[in-house]
Amino acid sequence: MSLGLLLLLLLALTAIAFVAGRQRALASVRGDARDLHSLPGYYGQTVALFTAVPALLFTLLWLLVQPVLIERNVTAMILPEDIAVGSSRDLVMADVRRIAEGMAVLQARESLADGEIAALATQPDALKDRLSSVGVALAADIRPHIAEAALEYRAETAFGRSVMGAGALGLAVAGFLLSLWRLTPQFRARNVVERFTGVLLIAASSIAILTTAGIIFSLVFETYHFFELYPARDFFLNLTWSPKFGGGSELGLWPLLWGTMYVSFIALLVAVPIGLMSAIYLSEYASPAIRSVAKPAIEILAGIPSIVYGLFALMTVGPFLRDWFAQPLGLGDSSSSVMTAGIVMGIMLIPYVSSLSDDIINAVPQAMRDGSYALGATQSETIRQVVFPAALPGIVGAILMAGSRAIGETMIVVLGAGAAAKLDLNPFEAMTTVTVKIVSQLTGDTEFASPETLVAFALGLTLFVFTLGLNILALYIVRKYREQYE
Amino acid sequence: MNDMRLTERVVTDTAKMTARGVQVHYGTNHALKDVDVDILDKTVTAFIGPSGCGKSTFLRCLNRMNDTVASARVTGKIEMDGQDIYDPRVDPVQLRAKVGMVFQKPNPFPKSIYDNVAYGPKIHGLARGKAELDEIVETSLKKAALWNEVKDRLSAPGTGLSGGQQQRLCIARAVATSPEVLLMDEPCSALDPIATAQVEELIDELRSQFSVVIVTHSMQQAARVSQRTAFFHLGYLVEYGETGKIFTNPDDPRTESYITGRIG
Repeated sequence: MSLGLLLLLLLALTAIAFVAGRQRALASVRGDARDLHSLPGYYGQTVALFTAVPALLFTLLWLLVQPVLIERNVTAMILPEDIAVGSSRDLVMADVRRIAEGMAVLQARESLADGEIAALATQPDALKDRLSSVGVALAADIRPHIAEAALEYRAETAFGRSVMGAGALGLAVAGFLLSLWRLTPQFRARNVVERFTGVLLIAASSIAILTTAGIIFSLVFETYHFFELYPARDFFLNLTWSPKFGGGSELGLWPLLWGTMYVSFIALLVAVPIGLMSAIYLSEYASPAIRSVAKPAIEILAGIPSIVYGLFALMTVGPFLRDWFAQPLGLGDSSSSVMTAGIVMGIMLIPYVSSLSDDIINAVPQAMRDGSYALGATQSETIRQVVFPAALPGIVGAILMAGSRAIGETMIVVLGAGAAAKLDLNPFEAMTTVTVKIVSQLTGDTEFASPETLVAFALGLTLFVFTLGLNILALYIVRKYREQYE
Repeated sequence: MNDMRLTERVVTDTAKMTARGVQVHYGTNHALKDVDVDILDKTVTAFIGPSGCGKSTFLRCLNRMNDTVASARVTGKIEMDGQDIYDPRVDPVQLRAKVGMVFQKPNPFPKSIYDNVAYGPKIHGLARGKAELDEIVETSLKKAALWNEVKDRLSAPGTGLSGGQQQRLCIARAVATSPEVLLMDEPCSALDPIATAQVEELIDELRSQFSVVIVTHSMQQAARVSQRTAFFHLGYLVEYGETGKIFTNPDDPRTESYITGRIG
């Protein structure tokens, strides 16, 4: 039974369960819904839930466990002599899976019986030709043993599928009958639905949390691998970054971290004053008409993909800075520079700072402003001395948020600041950041076991710890001062 | 009611502020209609009336706080010491330094107690040096009867005080700019009876230095603290006169109905 058909059947059964549960609840009180503990719909939902949820959970679990079990059985069938030199058990297993899939395609397209397929498996060369005729090309010749393994794989998968179908449908019917049988007018169907809703919400939020945990775990795991191949001391203390895929690389973190901090610092230097001032203008001075136009216009900036900003940096800002500042001042002649990337990234961050700060400034109670005006303060005095300090914790949060974004930005840096890892103070010099190097270490034809690739995970973890620290700091500041004016 | 105090009140006759034909519109809503009032010097004037009758609106005309409401339009004439306060030559910011205001809900700034009180003097440059500023803060807090409670923790945040203390802090803050008129918009409505009594006592003391205008929903409070009372109803000033007379022998039947609780 295919998965789609099974789900369709379950859906139909669930719909029937809903109607049946509702009817039975109403019938049990002779049509007078007031005698029921809950509204009739809740009884329908309860029966539907008991029908669908166990069956779906069973299906999900089966789908996760079945491939693992079959893989183990079939892998055990592969003999050492089946594995060619330079290949591995995993690669052979991948071949087995492809042959099995090819057989399924062949069977569907030429409507062969199972016996014919089995017969075909005894003639590896014919099998290979037939498979390539349906678009499954194999690199090596099929060894007879492998064809057998593929047949076994097919058989076990088919068997697993039918067990899954039967099990799921059986569970659904059992749940349906059991809940229908236990249904009485006093049954608290409302509470059951309520509890289910709670569990559903918990499940949704734990998916988010578990994913984060999974990401951290994989980062930590790979970083550990990296430090087995490359000394942590060198990673943290070496001041040179020069990966060589032939060996003898120097993988010092500092040039990259310095680039990241330098670019982010310039970006914030641009974004914070401009963003804050535009936020103050929008929330305190602008008339509603101007505000309704200007605010969305600024927020459009946030919708521009960062690669477009990168192009802007590459084509416009970079050459401009080189021709008008760097060269006349004798500070270099590179059009990609920390300054270019920083300024363009700053422009990208303006809407973050201004939009968040605008909301925060608007949240300062009008009573604060009234109090200040009533003492004879002007508008700018009021903003500087009352509104701004009251909004400060939120504004700091907004700035740190923008900072985390600056640290994680990649495209603008690639196009604006270049890819040369350098420790330099000159802002018109090309430098690069952690994220850019993560990309360049992982792209291209590299194997995943050398320190030169694994360093990407160590860099990723460093970056993660960095931004996590910033976010925690932001949360801490916001929490600590949040209720000050309430 | 405290009849003894009703009779022994001294009323001066010099008008500090005079309002003639004041009309206020909020957009299309005609909130205040043709109001004439004289606010006397060194007197407590109470504005009473049911909610939405325009008494707070009129109060906010006296220091031009309505300027900060975009839809508000004020016509008519309000003079302070003979000077039209709506004259273009008058800077509303300067006016508000002379006409202080205390709000319904205590609204201390999220700053220290000291900085809350020093705020006005600082922006108007009233103090020459730190010592003089300390002096102003101390006298203002003493005038607001808060000094003894906070003198040891002037650097603590003003928002950490209790509701009654916060309101007295706001009074101290308003007093610190040495205003000539102090406007109070239901200053006790968020306070418990003990704090209310403290604030009322304070109002009575402040009267020796400047005129106080207080909007209140409590008629007992109006009778206790004021010498003059104005009754507003549906945007009209119905009756204005000596507090004793308004409460014992009003001219207008509407005033009597309100005071005896038949309308409102």
